[in-house]
Amino acid sequence: MIAEMRHALQSILGSDVSEPVLLAGGASKEAWAVDVGGQKLLVRRAAVGVIHRHTLSLADEYAVLEAAHAAGVRAPRPIAYIPDLDGREAFVMERLEGETIGRRIVRGEVPARLPVEMAEELAKIHAIPRERVPFLVEARLERMIEEFDEVGEARPAIELGLRWLRENRPPPREPVVVHGDYRIGNLVVAPGGLVGVLDWEFAHIDEPVRDLAFALVRAWRFGVPAKRLGGIGDAEPYVERYNELTGRDVRPEELDYWEVAGNVGWAIGCLTQMQRHLSGRDRSVELAVLGRLGAEVEYEICHLLERAAA
Amino acid sequence: MSERPTAAELAEAILEFLGGEILPTVTDQRLRFRTLVAMNALSIVYRELERLPAGDDAEQRELAAQIRSGEVPPGTLARVKRDVEGRLRIASPRYLEQYGEASSR
Repeated sequence: MIAEMRHALQSILGSDVSEPVLLAGGASKEAWAVDVGGQKLLVRRAAVGVIHRHTLSLADEYAVLEAAHAAGVRAPRPIAYIPDLDGREAFVMERLEGETIGRRIVRGEVPARLPVEMAEELAKIHAIPRERVPFLVEARLERMIEEFDEVGEARPAIELGLRWLRENRPPPREPVVVHGDYRIGNLVVAPGGLVGVLDWEFAHIDEPVRDLAFALVRAWRFGVPAKRLGGIGDAEPYVERYNELTGRDVRPEELDYWEVAGNVGWAIGCLTQMQRHLSGRDRSVELAVLGRLGAEVEYEICHLLERAAA
Repeated sequence: MSERPTAAELAEAILEFLGGEILPTVTDQRLRFRTLVAMNALSIVYRELERLPAGDDAEQRELAAQIRSGEVPPGTLARVKRDVEGRLRIASPRYLEQYGEASSR
């Protein structure tokens, strides 16, 4: 398989392609490192038999990456989309140097400008013209509820969260192109600061503040819960910089609202991940145990609702 | 107890992992033997759990449906939080520690 892949890559990228090395990756996508004439590249390829609803195809993800790159977002440079790489869809992009493991970013020496740089990149993402990526769909709260109901588990804490979100919705903002999974674990970080934004498969059209607040969700503070922005800092400098660049005036209450929404979304996400295992589609201890760890997120929802009511 | 994955389903997932991903990589004969013994022990746990009567989640279902229909009596949030805390004492007891600290906002 590796030889076939290398051969296929050679026909597209030229003869000087190193042997592809499989990197640790997610259950839905493979990541292969290859070097082509001194250039460090990464091949993102569909994993066998995995089709996810509500995430982008690799073709669309590639198109979003192109749009982001063209908009000046720090992201891997897109190189080529390959409809059939040894039997599966794939694309090739630049392989950025830096740390991508959230826990290591948070536990290491955090670059001082990282919170502000996160705001700067997000402001650029939210300015990507919608017509550049016309295939992106608009998110709705109802879709989240549908996914939850499909799993069919009784979770009163999630119900309370959904009810609160319905009753406390801030005035809607003009929807924009959002990353959809904007948090520390999806960044490449080097000692000098933010190198790139990865994992565009959840991009869609949505409220900008939802995207802004996603990085605050406690589940992604990697063991440093007192630092609300992904375990690396306070939310304020991040939000202030974002407001400054976008001319939006995101208020703390609005941020709180979308933080709850992020938690409710992830609590439901834990159940849908569990379902991938239970249904037999992707058997995995990691997915199975998420069904139980979702209780952490449910507890956080209760905590946030209590505080909102206080 | 009826929470998914059930304890039996978790044991089953671990058995599949050990048999499918770990065992094929273990070349040391002694470790290989001990892994097989551990898998055998875990399959005892699995079968024992499988024989337990299925848990009843009727109360949680009723509460969830009530909240969905808009019926949220006073004290519901506190009750739900207590229930979640009980589940966490099994799933992830150390997680609760961070809420004791004067932190996070």
